[in-house]
Amino acid sequence: MKKRKKKRYDSVDIVSFVCLTVFAILIVIPFWNAIVISFETESAYIRAPFSWLPGEFTLTNYEYMLEHAEGLITAYKNTIKIAVVGTVLGMSLMTAVAYCFSRKFPGKKVLFYIMLFTMFFGGGLVPKYLLIKNMGLLNTHAAIILMSLASVHNIIVMKNGFESIPNDLPEAAMIDGASDLVIFSKVMLPLQKPMIATFSLFHVVGAWNNWYWPTLILNSSDKAVLQVFLRTLLANAGGSAIAESSMGNLSDNIYSMGIQMAAVFIVMLPIMLVYPFLQKYFVKGVLVGSVKM
Amino acid sequence: MVNMKKNKKMQAIWKARYIYILLAAYFVWLLIFHYGPMYGLLLAFKKYNAKLGIWGSEWVGLDNLKRIFVTPIAMKAIWNTLTISVRRIIFQFPFPIILAILITEMRGRRLKKVYQTIFTFPHFLSWVVVGAILTNFLSGSGTINMALANMGFEKINFLGNSKIFTSLLFVTANWKGMGWSAIVYMAAIAGIDPTLYDAARVDGASRWQQIWHITLAGIRATIAIMLILDIGGIMNAGFDQIFNMRNDVVNSSVTILDTYVYDITFGAVPNYGFSTAVGLFKSVIDFILLILANQISGRLSKGEHKLI
Repeated sequence: MKKRKKKRYDSVDIVSFVCLTVFAILIVIPFWNAIVISFETESAYIRAPFSWLPGEFTLTNYEYMLEHAEGLITAYKNTIKIAVVGTVLGMSLMTAVAYCFSRKFPGKKVLFYIMLFTMFFGGGLVPKYLLIKNMGLLNTHAAIILMSLASVHNIIVMKNGFESIPNDLPEAAMIDGASDLVIFSKVMLPLQKPMIATFSLFHVVGAWNNWYWPTLILNSSDKAVLQVFLRTLLANAGGSAIAESSMGNLSDNIYSMGIQMAAVFIVMLPIMLVYPFLQKYFVKGVLVGSVKM
Repeated sequence: MVNMKKNKKMQAIWKARYIYILLAAYFVWLLIFHYGPMYGLLLAFKKYNAKLGIWGSEWVGLDNLKRIFVTPIAMKAIWNTLTISVRRIIFQFPFPIILAILITEMRGRRLKKVYQTIFTFPHFLSWVVVGAILTNFLSGSGTINMALANMGFEKINFLGNSKIFTSLLFVTANWKGMGWSAIVYMAAIAGIDPTLYDAARVDGASRWQQIWHITLAGIRATIAIMLILDIGGIMNAGFDQIFNMRNDVVNSSVTILDTYVYDITFGAVPNYGFSTAVGLFKSVIDFILLILANQISGRLSKGEHKLI
């Protein structure tokens, strides 16, 4: 039996190790490069755009971000506010609906199909935009929170979660005289805490990364969220959004590459910090969703 | 008799009263924010006049829809949507499967965990962030080109050449998403009966043969389901990515239906009726394909991957 310790590496071991290492490096390099650029001077960047460590270390890009780009702090506050309020409201609503659809009641099928239909069909850009406009919700955070309040997919996954609890439990509580409100909040919710934590995480990340409707709806800098702030800064810098017809034209830029990358880093930093610790919950979440949709 | 039946039903409704109360807020929201915009789809058959509103605007019948088929850019957008989606299936679909197999085969539990964190991380960033990082890396004044220039090589116009740019869509989408997409396949591989591998080893099968005959064979149902779901989503060619990475030079060759609707809605001369019609055209085809895909994948997975 001791012989097993001397296991030799075969071709599968080598191929998988080499391929995965290369892929991991390919993912890390652009991130690393962006972070290095954000910590070095413009001249060092132009001299050597790719270096493993900042050519001339400086914090000026970050100082600039804090001093001049006033919108940053506001955008941070707005994003946190929308993420927290949206997640609390959304999760309360979604868990309640998921619980209801895990029970039997008259009209369940019809209501379920009314909900399901919206997952496959929607009004699209113009009707949605006009609705928000006609409701007087343009340039409000309420519009952003309301538009991404609940997702049918998550409701269905959570419904399956509630259904996986043995039916005797709610039934017994029912016989004891507990109402659905009590069963939901005192019996079912506590049993599904891990699932609720996972979906809350997804909701927070979704709010953090939400950029499309905020770009359309929030048009003043005091209302902007982080993604809108970043898009505006990049557009002004002649970055992704603007044509790059003349190559290597750096002088037109209002914001240097260092400032752009500092902004990118500041926006993604929270996710970068928490992701390694929360990864397993995300993975669990996607697996519940895919195994039983 | 009829009365008793009615009574029983009333009783069941009364018994479920709290359920209706819990559902009420959600369905009001659903009505306003999902069915409300569906009412707005009437615009597809109207000439929109802001003063008259959606209902008051003049009917134009099918004019807006007919106009799609005589507008060259709209037709180009339909064509691009389909061709980009098909190429996404060819150039993106296989990679998460390969990645999942490699990860399960690799030795070293610690390193595996670190790699998986790296592979799945970009999925949790928005395309605004990823677009900025990759544009910095690939643009004319970006890292790769500056490095090439400093070393005396000629620059490569990654983002300004529509052919290179389109191929980059698939590469960068893989870069961002394949680690995350691999999770489903890894779960499927984990579900394969381990005694199959033992039996194969006894029979003298090499590890490559095991991968082919046991691993791949064992997850083919999952592969089929994922493929069908991808085909069902063919009308969505990757709006977030294209919107955040495109530029004026390559725009026309990567204009898909979603970006086209955005452009004509918020462009110089917006025509809401026509924009709505293009959106409706897309939604209807999307709806049919999604329903079909769900039915087929539901049948394949014996009900596990079924919503309806």
